[in-house]
Amino acid sequence: MTTFPPVPVTRPRLAVLAREKLPCSARAVPRTQLIKEKDDIDHYLEKNFKGLSKEEVAAHRNSYKKSICVDMLRNGYHKSFTELFTLAEQWDALRHAAEVRSLFWRQRPLEEQPDKLDNFYHYLTRAEAAERKRYYEEVYNNLYALACYFDNSEDKWVRNHFYERCFNIAKLIKADGGKKEAEAQAHMGLLFEEEGELLEAAQHYEAFHELTQGRIWKNETGQFLNLLACESLVRTYKLLSDRMLENKEYKQAIKILIKASEIAKEGSDRNMEGEAALCLGSAHLAAGEYETALRVLRRYSEIATSMGDDLNLGRAYEAIAKVLQSQGKMTEAIGYLEKAVKIARNNFQSLDVIRACTMLGDIYNEKGQYSEASEYFQQAFSASVELMKMALMDETKVHYGIARAHQMMLTMTDYIETADIDSLNCLLSWKESRTQIKYDPILGKAKRSTVSYSQQLEQLSMSVLTTTHFKGKHL
Amino acid sequence: MNVIYPLAVPKGRRLCCEVCEAPAERMCMDCTVTYYCGPVHQKADWGSIHEKICPLLIPLRTTMPFYNSEEERQHGLQQLQKRQKHLIEFCYTVAQKYLFEGRYEEAVPAALHSLRFRMNVYGLNSVELVPAYLLLAEASLGLGRIVQAEEYLSQARWTVLKSTDCSNATHSLLHRNLGLLYMAKENFEEARYHLANDIYFASCAFGTDDIRTSGGYFHLANIFYALSKMGLADTLYTKVSEIWFTYLNDHYQVLLQARSQQTDLLGKQFVNDTGLDEAQEAEAIQILTSILNIRESSSSKAPQKTVFIMKTLSMLYYLMLECSMAKEYAKRALSLAKEHLSVQEQRFIQALLKVISTEEERSTK
Repeated sequence: MTTFPPVPVTRPRLAVLAREKLPCSARAVPRTQLIKEKDDIDHYLEKNFKGLSKEEVAAHRNSYKKSICVDMLRNGYHKSFTELFTLAEQWDALRHAAEVRSLFWRQRPLEEQPDKLDNFYHYLTRAEAAERKRYYEEVYNNLYALACYFDNSEDKWVRNHFYERCFNIAKLIKADGGKKEAEAQAHMGLLFEEEGELLEAAQHYEAFHELTQGRIWKNETGQFLNLLACESLVRTYKLLSDRMLENKEYKQAIKILIKASEIAKEGSDRNMEGEAALCLGSAHLAAGEYETALRVLRRYSEIATSMGDDLNLGRAYEAIAKVLQSQGKMTEAIGYLEKAVKIARNNFQSLDVIRACTMLGDIYNEKGQYSEASEYFQQAFSASVELMKMALMDETKVHYGIARAHQMMLTMTDYIETADIDSLNCLLSWKESRTQIKYDPILGKAKRSTVSYSQQLEQLSMSVLTTTHFKGKHL
Repeated sequence: MNVIYPLAVPKGRRLCCEVCEAPAERMCMDCTVTYYCGPVHQKADWGSIHEKICPLLIPLRTTMPFYNSEEERQHGLQQLQKRQKHLIEFCYTVAQKYLFEGRYEEAVPAALHSLRFRMNVYGLNSVELVPAYLLLAEASLGLGRIVQAEEYLSQARWTVLKSTDCSNATHSLLHRNLGLLYMAKENFEEARYHLANDIYFASCAFGTDDIRTSGGYFHLANIFYALSKMGLADTLYTKVSEIWFTYLNDHYQVLLQARSQQTDLLGKQFVNDTGLDEAQEAEAIQILTSILNIRESSSSKAPQKTVFIMKTLSMLYYLMLECSMAKEYAKRALSLAKEHLSVQEQRFIQALLKVISTEEERSTK
C-alpha cells in the first residue's frame, strides 16, 4: 500500500471562508464573490464595503465540520453527507466510551482536524458523482485513496470502514476481470488479520488466492499479486496453527499446515516451502506423530540442500534431532546435532550454535556423560557472551553450572561418603577456594565410617549443589 | 365621546376581531367570548378552527372563578396553563395539516391562534413563538404574499438569534421555511444553502434517515428539479421514498405479525397505527403524491421506482385506514409490476392487496 501525495483538494466556497478564519491559513477570496445581495458592485463599493456577507457570518459562526456538511448538501451530495455524519457520530461514541474508561483521550475530535474533513469532502463527493454515473472503478479509486489517507495508528477504524466499502464496490466491478476485487479481498484479509480474527482473514485470503491464480497482475509496487496471495495465506495459516497448537488441537493444526505447505509449493518460493515444512514437522512432533514428522523434515532438508541453503539445512537437522530425541534414538540425534553445530559455526549463526549446543549438552546430560555435556554448554555460553544478550547469557550460564556440578558430583559424593577428616578438609578447602577438586582415591577407599552417611550425604549434597548453582550463576 | 362602540360594552373596553384586529361588531353565540368584525371573518374563522376549539376558549377568556384557598388558586392557575398549552399544540397541528393539504386561507386563523396563545403563555421574546411565526410565513407564501412571509421570517430569525437555547429542530424548521421563501423568490442559491442547513440540523436532532429529515431532502430535490438537474433530483427523491418506505414497512410488518397471532380474548381489532400525527400524515401524503406525479411524468420511465412509490403510498393509506385509496394504489402498482418487475415484488404487492381487502370487508361488516 503506497501513500498518496497530498492532493490539491478542491474546496467549496464556504469551506474556503471557514478555512480563512482558522488560525492556520492565510488566503484571500475576492469579496465581490461573497456579496451576492448587491447586484451592481462597482469598484468603489467593493473596496469600501463595510460589512460581512451572510456566508462570512456563517463561516465565523459555524464549526468547520458544519460548513463542510452544508457544502456537501448544497451541491446535492447527500450520500457523502450521510456517510460523514455517521462517521462523526461513531467518533463521538468512541470518545464517550474512552472517556468512561480513562480521563485522557488523546485523539483530537474531528471538528478540529480540517485536513481530514477536506479530504472527506474531496473524495466522498467525487466517489458519489462517479457512483451516479456508475463508474465503479472511479468510486473504488476514491474510496481507496481515503483508506490510504487514514492509514495511521489512531484512525484505523476509519480505514477499516473504507476498506469494507471498497470491498462492496469491488464486487460490482467486472470490467477488469476481477483485479480490483482481488485487491479488495486482500485488504479485508489484512483488516481481519490485524484484529486477530484469523478465520475470517484466512477466508478472504483464500478468495484472494483463487482470484489471482494464473494471472500475472502486479500491484503498485511491482509485486506479483499471486505471490502476495500465497505469502499472506501461508502466514495466516501459520498464525492460526500456532493458536491451535496452544489449545492443543493438533489435528486441525496439522490439516491447516498441510494446506499451507501445498500453497507454498504452488507459490514456487522455496523459502516459504521450507518454512512451511518446518512448521508442519514441529506440529507433528507436538502431536506425537514422530514418523510423519521425520518424513516431512527429511523432505525439508532435501529442499534445503538442493537450494544450497545452509541456514535452513541447519534448522532442518535441529528439528530432526528433536524428533529423534523424543523418540529416544539418542545417538542419531547426536549425529544430526553435531552436523547442525558445524553448519551453524560455518555460517556464523550464533543463535543456532547456542541452540544446537544446548540441545547436545542436554542429551549428554541425560545420558550421564557430564564432561561432554559441560563442554558443549561451555561452547554455548561463550557464543552467547559474544552476542551480549543478557537473558541468553543467564540461561546458558545456568546450564553450564548445572553440568559442572554434575561433573563434580561424583567426586563430592565420594568425599562425603568417606566422611573422614582429610576428605572433610578437602571439602572445606574447596568451599574456600572453589577450584576443581581432585579425587584422591587413597583417602576415599581407606576410610569408610559406618555413620549413617546417607543422611549426611543428603544434607551435604543438597548444600553443595545449591551453592554450585548459585556460584554457577555468578561465573 | 368620539368613538361609537357597536356592541354594548362598557366604555373603555375595546373588542377586536379575532382575525383582523379591527373593532368588533359581532359575537360568536356559542362561546360568547369571541368577537369578529364582520360575517366574512366569522365564517372563515369558524370553518378553519373555531368550530373545533369553541368550547375550549371559554375558560381562557373569562375571569378566573373565585377560589377559597391558596391551593385551589394554584391548582386553578395550573389548569389554565395546561389548557392553554393544549390549545397551542392543537392549533399548531391543525394549521400544519391545512398547510400540507394546501388550504392556506384556512391555515391563517389557526396559526394566529397558536401564535397568540404562545405569546400569552411564554412571553413575547421566547423561542417558543418561532414555530408559530414559521407557520404564518408558510401560509403567506402559499397565498403568494411574499413580503408578509419575509416579515414573519425575519421576526422568527431575530428571535432565534437572540435566544441561547434554541433546539436543533427549531433551527431546522427555520431554515426549511427560509429555503421555501427563497424558492418562491426564485433565488435558488440561497434556497439551497438554507435547505442544506435544514438537513444538517434535522440530522443532528433526529438522525439522517428520519422521516422528519425527509422534508428537507424533498424540498432540495424540488430545487434541483426546477433547475433541471434531473440526476441529482432523482437520487434525492429516491432517498426520500426509501426513508418513508422503511418507516411504513416497519409499522406494516409489526401489524401483520400482530394480526397473524391470535386476536386477544375480547376479539378486539388491532387498530391500525401509523405512529404519526395528522400533520405528519398530511405531509407524507403531499410528499409522496408529488414524487409520484414527477416520476410518472418523467420521460425516462423507471418502472421500479414508480412501483416503489405506489407501494409506499398504498401502505400509508392502509395504515391510515383509508382502504379505498390504498386499494387503488395497490392495484396500479400490481399492474405495473406484472409487466416489469420480478415475481417476488409482485407477490409482495399481492399480499398487500389481500390484506387491504380483508380490512375493507371487516370494516364494512
